[in-house]
Amino acid sequence: MTKIKTLRRATTGLLAAAAMSFAGTAQAEFPDRPIEMTILFGGTANSIAQLLTDLMSQEMSQPIVPVSRTGGGGAVGYSYVVNTPADGYNIVWNSNSINTGNHMGRIDFNYEAFTPIARVSTEIPALAVNASTGWEDLSDMVEAVQASGDVLRVGISGRGSFTHLTSAALFDALGIGEQVAYIAYGDGRAPVELLAERIDAAIQWPGQFASYVEAGELNVLAVTGDTRVNVLPDVATAMEQGYDVNISMWRGLAAPAGTPDDVVAALQAAAEAAVMSDTFQEASDNIGFTPAFLPAAEFGALIAEDDAFYGALLTELGMAQ
Amino acid sequence: MDIFLQALASAMTPMAIASIGLGALIGLIFGSIPGLTFTVALALALPITFSMDPVPAIGLLLGTYIGGMTGGSVSAILLGIPGTPSAAATVLDGHPMTKQGNASIALGTAVIVSVFGGIFSLIVMIVSVDLVSRVAISFGPAEIFALVLFGLSTICGLCGGSLIKGLISGALGLMIMTVGLDTIDGVQRMTFGSVNMMQGVNLLVAMIGLFAVPFIIEAFAVKTSMPEKSQRISRVKAELPSIGLLGRNLWLMIKCSIMGTGIGAIPGTGGAIASFLAYDHAKRFSKKPETFGKGNIEGVVAPETANNAVTGGTLIPLLSLGIPGDPATAIVLAGLMIHGITPGPALFMNHAGEVYGMYVAVVLAYLWVLGLQLVGIRLFVHVLKIPRELLAVGVLVLCAIGAFSIRNSVFDIYSMGAIGVAAYVLVSFRVPITPIILGMVLGPTLENEFRTAMMLSMGDPEIFYSSPTVLVFFSLALLVIGLQAVSEFKAKKQPKNEVKADA
Repeated sequence: MTKIKTLRRATTGLLAAAAMSFAGTAQAEFPDRPIEMTILFGGTANSIAQLLTDLMSQEMSQPIVPVSRTGGGGAVGYSYVVNTPADGYNIVWNSNSINTGNHMGRIDFNYEAFTPIARVSTEIPALAVNASTGWEDLSDMVEAVQASGDVLRVGISGRGSFTHLTSAALFDALGIGEQVAYIAYGDGRAPVELLAERIDAAIQWPGQFASYVEAGELNVLAVTGDTRVNVLPDVATAMEQGYDVNISMWRGLAAPAGTPDDVVAALQAAAEAAVMSDTFQEASDNIGFTPAFLPAAEFGALIAEDDAFYGALLTELGMAQ
Repeated sequence: MDIFLQALASAMTPMAIASIGLGALIGLIFGSIPGLTFTVALALALPITFSMDPVPAIGLLLGTYIGGMTGGSVSAILLGIPGTPSAAATVLDGHPMTKQGNASIALGTAVIVSVFGGIFSLIVMIVSVDLVSRVAISFGPAEIFALVLFGLSTICGLCGGSLIKGLISGALGLMIMTVGLDTIDGVQRMTFGSVNMMQGVNLLVAMIGLFAVPFIIEAFAVKTSMPEKSQRISRVKAELPSIGLLGRNLWLMIKCSIMGTGIGAIPGTGGAIASFLAYDHAKRFSKKPETFGKGNIEGVVAPETANNAVTGGTLIPLLSLGIPGDPATAIVLAGLMIHGITPGPALFMNHAGEVYGMYVAVVLAYLWVLGLQLVGIRLFVHVLKIPRELLAVGVLVLCAIGAFSIRNSVFDIYSMGAIGVAAYVLVSFRVPITPIILGMVLGPTLENEFRTAMMLSMGDPEIFYSSPTVLVFFSLALLVIGLQAVSEFKAKKQPKNEVKADA
């Protein structure tokens, strides 16, 4: 064992020296072996993570390897990483699911079990309706719904999913929360269901709607974050339209609690360089997310703030455990 | 036409042709080795495509997808272990053909009809993508529920002797899939507080366990007599199916292609249901239904044509609606998105060149698959020369690796083992295994679509009898069950009397 360690140290020393001569950011001590990044979900989360690990590996003396541990709404991956040593060699590609997962009783630890490293990206949900409704913005919809007194059928991915929570917060802010029935699909079939007019409205990711908006088949009424999204630049935020809703899904990196500060700093620097790279910025438009780097301290504050918000929201929906 | 020529030029570059070929080869290897699945191959290939041009990148992914879909039949026929869920129906007659020494004919037929089905569905896709996607949109939760129920009714045809045993097996499959986090309500079901149980039973892990583990146990438990084994070695030959054989099955191939394309076009279904429906159809309309399950070539033709016809079919919702039909196409979708090709109705306006390039890539992928497979058959059949015990050890290792690699979960290896041992017990009680797979593939869709439909109708069951499409599928399901019950009754009458006389 010691022999291997010495050997490893020797190689690392060489590698680190080589790396340092190329880039000043790499540290002599960390990393001396590949870092494993646990991915919790498929789809967009996986696509961004693949790209991010590729770019971060170029910034570090050791590769960062993406490993997919999906299932249980993130519970499987979080549980794996939380039980690894706090040395920075096991990091997790996390999201708001750390907050919702804990409040819904899927994981028995909360965000405090992890040390934040950096926020990397945000995805801002959008609310779409069939173009035949003629609704152009939120107030059109609110007026029509209030006037008709009918129930609005809203498509979501599943109860307790991010699209459900966003919908609940948005329709409450619009004052028509009582007139909404949620239809859970379990996957991203919302655009088709809207097209077939089996549902009246749906909150999903802007990228899923973009092509339909261009073809004039769906109208996107609002995005729920505090900024507009690149794929749909003409769509105003809910706040711009006078409704107090600001929800977006963030993704970032975290390590088990107790990871040394210098290790976190090294990972944060690599993440920042990756996010700022042209490749990442270009890919963001294609995949449909917003690069949004935030350093460790501010990221931590954001997670704590979100935790209180989602805790209250889930309690209100009767889904908190 | 200009765009088409341009697309042809972009897809015919050496780089594109090579990457499609590489994809086809990777897919074939992962698809044909028991335990390894082409979904994993696609996940591995995805990062490689980041730095490539769009057409070669998509070509690599499509090649892997198509190669994998075709390769799944190889281990299904040779070893009786399907490489993919879509190939599970091929085991029923493909493996008996191997036992009769006709492995190469079964393999050759499988690849040729696969290519036929694939190209057929591509043509349908090219000429009618708009029309078909409109029809697919009309398939709501209630319609998909009815279609899946019809798919489940084919369990009747898979039971072998006893309908009861088939139903037990199918119900077990349905039950296994309820373990884990429920996607609709977000609650945990049958997890017993375990995080590992929360991820549920993965279909591919279960499939490896169900087919491979009994194979491994049998290899060691049953002391096969030496003469039989040597006999088998001497019979290994690489003979390809004759034109006449294919000609006789042309009508069946066309029917199964239509079936596969149609089912592939409906989001949320996929290859497995198509291949089982095709198999059931072939058996029902065959002149000699009693030879099915004993090595009837039609039992290979039907599912293999249908599951590859699904590849063209799934491209319809993928490209025109942006909806992936299964985990494999979800990865293809990710590859498209990264290259800025966002599927949806505007795709054909913005990226016509890339879309035509993809069509050419699919044709090229099938040509590669045909070439690689026909050469490969000569090598594949030699697997049968390996002594069963040694082969079983190899399969065991590959399956453990395969089960782990799907979700990087050690727990999945244990699940595979547990399910496999249970499967061996079932096999020894002569309970058929295939209905379990059918139940597992269709179970989650069946349940979720039913619940979503009930939510849509606010709890009113009217949604299930107000749509003509739903009623058609319900009637078809009833018809299949009715016919089976009648034939079962007729068949039982004679032996039953005998039993009574005995008692």
